[in-house]
Amino acid sequence: MAGSAYRARRFAVALVFMAGFAAVLIRLFNLQVLQAAELTVKADRQHSKTVTLEGPRGTIYDRHGKMLAINVEVPSVFGVPASLDNPSGVARYLSPVLHVRAAEIERKLKQDRSFVWLARKLDPDQGRRLEQMPLDGIGIVMEGRRFYPKGPLLSHVLGFAGMDGQGLEGLERRYETYLHGEKRIVVLQRDALGRTVFPKDLREQTPAAGHSLTLTIDEVIQYVAEKELEAAVNATHAKSGILIAMEPRTGAVLALALSPRFDPNAVAALSPDRWRNKALTDAYEPGSTMKVIVGAAALEEKVMTPGSLVFCENGRMTVANTIIHDHEKSGWMTFAQVIQRSSNIGAAKAAMALGENRFYRYLQAFGFGERTDIDLPGEATGLLKNPRSWGRRSLASIAMGQEIGVTPLQLIVAVSAVANGGLLMKPYIVSEIRDAGGRLVRQGAPQVRRRVISAETAGTLSRILEGVVTQGTGTKAAIPGFRVAGKTGTAQKIDPRTGAYSPTQFVGSFVGYVPADDPRLAMIVVIDEPQTEAWGGSVAAPVFRRVAEQVLPYLGVTSSEAVKLAMAM
Amino acid sequence: MKTLTLLAAMLLLLAFVWERVDIVRLGYRIERLKSDKVRLERERDELQVRVSSLTSPERIAKVATEKLGMAPPRQDQVVLVRLEPEVPSPTAPTEFEIRLAKSDALRKVR
Repeated sequence: MAGSAYRARRFAVALVFMAGFAAVLIRLFNLQVLQAAELTVKADRQHSKTVTLEGPRGTIYDRHGKMLAINVEVPSVFGVPASLDNPSGVARYLSPVLHVRAAEIERKLKQDRSFVWLARKLDPDQGRRLEQMPLDGIGIVMEGRRFYPKGPLLSHVLGFAGMDGQGLEGLERRYETYLHGEKRIVVLQRDALGRTVFPKDLREQTPAAGHSLTLTIDEVIQYVAEKELEAAVNATHAKSGILIAMEPRTGAVLALALSPRFDPNAVAALSPDRWRNKALTDAYEPGSTMKVIVGAAALEEKVMTPGSLVFCENGRMTVANTIIHDHEKSGWMTFAQVIQRSSNIGAAKAAMALGENRFYRYLQAFGFGERTDIDLPGEATGLLKNPRSWGRRSLASIAMGQEIGVTPLQLIVAVSAVANGGLLMKPYIVSEIRDAGGRLVRQGAPQVRRRVISAETAGTLSRILEGVVTQGTGTKAAIPGFRVAGKTGTAQKIDPRTGAYSPTQFVGSFVGYVPADDPRLAMIVVIDEPQTEAWGGSVAAPVFRRVAEQVLPYLGVTSSEAVKLAMAM
Repeated sequence: MKTLTLLAAMLLLLAFVWERVDIVRLGYRIERLKSDKVRLERERDELQVRVSSLTSPERIAKVATEKLGMAPPRQDQVVLVRLEPEVPSPTAPTEFEIRLAKSDALRKVR
């Protein structure tokens, strides 16, 4: 009996053990087989973390190698909530250094997450202070921040990059594929507390930096342009201003200034309207500066010579039941005088002599209605209607710069063609792209798009345009000792409320080049809605003069007087 | 002879151990220098940023006009001098220009 009782007890114990093992086995089967996939993912998420390391963004230089945009390593601060005992104490401690409210930091540190950003891309000084206060569960990583050391200088061209280093506007966006650094994905292991275990050779794994850009822009010319443009916009209480300076022979942009400016280091608070590069994204009715093109076409097609006499109807002419006015009443004028005194009637008559199709062909040839293909984003084509949809007044209107939309860039490129002996150049702004090792990857070179007029016509027109500055509407652009050629423009703006030309809103402009016999600098100045005086000759021509006066000696262009003086000494 | 062999063996062993220790020591030094390099590179970048901020034309113009009382030269103050090199060489440019800013004081002396 005792034997069977013993056996039964043994059997019971064995049963208990077997039941226990069976339970473990079932649990194991459940975990290892049934839930295997799901749990593996969960485990990976807990102990490993994928981080994308990115090489620094490429630097942007001006034509003389001055830095315009650069990447700096700045500290970013993160917290690991799981390894913090006293979140509120840590928050109070960090608050004054991070310039973030303690309550905000505390809220982040109490989250049920393994990793939280506390503050990103701080100043290097803040980083040094943080390094001196070692705190468990708080870490610093270095991240690249885009920095524009010259502040607002050239901001509309440079654009800016976002928090994660992606180019959002301007050159930063246009050349994103070249500028951004190499990306490399690294898997970091984390221990039980969620602390990051960095692989030892992480430093050697640093991905390569992005390509650097060298621009055709000259920092000094850009500065002079921005300074003088801003002064003019302020003095005339204008809404805004645009200035583009170019080398007429190459199409290289030397300066592109807009007023008001913005600081690309602090764009968060600004509206897109402030950073849009209106020199090429917005078309406007150019007004009388268009007469340069009328002159080029009429001279090339030989419908006019500089001495051709044109009757200017004493300042009033009826076209298609509307009246065209001149700002000064005159009778007979030479064609040269028509351009120099900016007669609307004379220009309209020249365009009529050309006829719709011929005039349209020249407008197209000079690049209106198509992009200049400059290497900047967002360029507009402007508005050039096909002659089939022109009205009876269109020919006369376009001749005086109405019914046509052009960008300031298109206009300066077109006038540069006159300065360049009739060759239309493609404008460009990036002259070199080099990789992180300094090897040349791409080069921007002068590119002729087409011949628009003969060299002879260009020379004849150039002498007429010199007359604009010596005796016409552009005398305020004259620079003693230099031969300046150019054309003024005063355009009425269309009032969006009435749809008609506003009697009070104007765009004053001047486009020209210097020295006329050996052009080194072409420039357009556009002042939008000046409140004092509207005439392009009064508001824009002086800006041309002040900029050219400072830039020409800087470029080493001799004035004819200086040569005489030097020879006399 | 026996002691000599023993001495030689010991020396060899010592040299071997010393070499090992040296490798470790150098390894530490390399590590230290590497982290120095990273630190210095960062410092260089920071200084570069400061240099380009400090040399911005806007700031230079401000310091020059407001602190140092300078002004951009007027046109009559700039003289271009063309110089013929003393010994014309086939490689050197035949003429070059030097720009001088002539001061008012200089004119008074003359």
